[in-house]
Amino acid sequence: MKDIMRTKCLISSDVETLINQQIKKEAYSSAVYLSMASWCDRNGFDYSSDYFFKQAEEERMHQLKFYKYVLDMGGVAISPEITNIKIEYNSFREVYEEALEQEVSVTQSIKNIAARCHKEQDYVTLEFLNWFFKEQREEEYKARRALELFDVIGEEGTGRWEIDKHVGKISYSED
Amino acid sequence: MQDLITLPSITFSEVFSTKNGAIYQSDSENCWYIDFAGKLARFDYRNLLKLQKAVYQIDIENLLLSSDKAPDLEIIFICACDHCYVLSLIQIIAIKELLQGTFVMLELNHIIYDRLHRIVA
Repeated sequence: MKDIMRTKCLISSDVETLINQQIKKEAYSSAVYLSMASWCDRNGFDYSSDYFFKQAEEERMHQLKFYKYVLDMGGVAISPEITNIKIEYNSFREVYEEALEQEVSVTQSIKNIAARCHKEQDYVTLEFLNWFFKEQREEEYKARRALELFDVIGEEGTGRWEIDKHVGKISYSED
Repeated sequence: MQDLITLPSITFSEVFSTKNGAIYQSDSENCWYIDFAGKLARFDYRNLLKLQKAVYQIDIENLLLSSDKAPDLEIIFICACDHCYVLSLIQIIAIKELLQGTFVMLELNHIIYDRLHRIVA
């Protein structure tokens, strides 16, 4: 008997479901960053606003990368519904705390997909995920560094203005 | 798996059967035939997955506990598929069992196929 299932789709339905959940997560991340960009802009943090606009774009790009992968492997990519996006934040610091939490959550979730791939010996998807792991290294680093500015510079006086100015300068290099 | 019905050009292999129904695979047409609820219906890859999803999504427990006066009938309609099922609760449980068994057998077939034809020993 022919193995029709396998010839139609490279990834298992479990991995497909996990990646679809990840697509939703990335889309949610992108929407949250957009909301943060709006809050920062409204409150006069121009550089932070630009930073979050850029982050929103990146998350959207990640979402599309996962989306295209599912389709290329013969699966069904599901365009997600995104709700419950926060509009107001209590403080400038809270925005960055949540940004870091967001990145950590994305990393953990991709690790979970990789664990499933290991179990199934899906080395194709594992190799695909490697790009994201590298990307998350940078994303978490940047988010952590940004939050650390609050302690290094301090929020008193013109502190928040200084922090805002420095955020755009954070860059990650492996060397 | 044993070949059950042999027609001039089409060969069906039984994938899984219960006392309520059976699912056959046709290698020449790359599709499956579901013999259930008094009819034989043809499903291609996409539609079989859509049927699986539609059936698995039904909350059987909720239907069992529900005290509504509405008849416990579910209409399983699959987008872009010629077939539609109108099933009672008992039949839903039966088709779910049939599909679960089928997907396990297809997975097993995948493993066997890998071992026999694809993996170099």
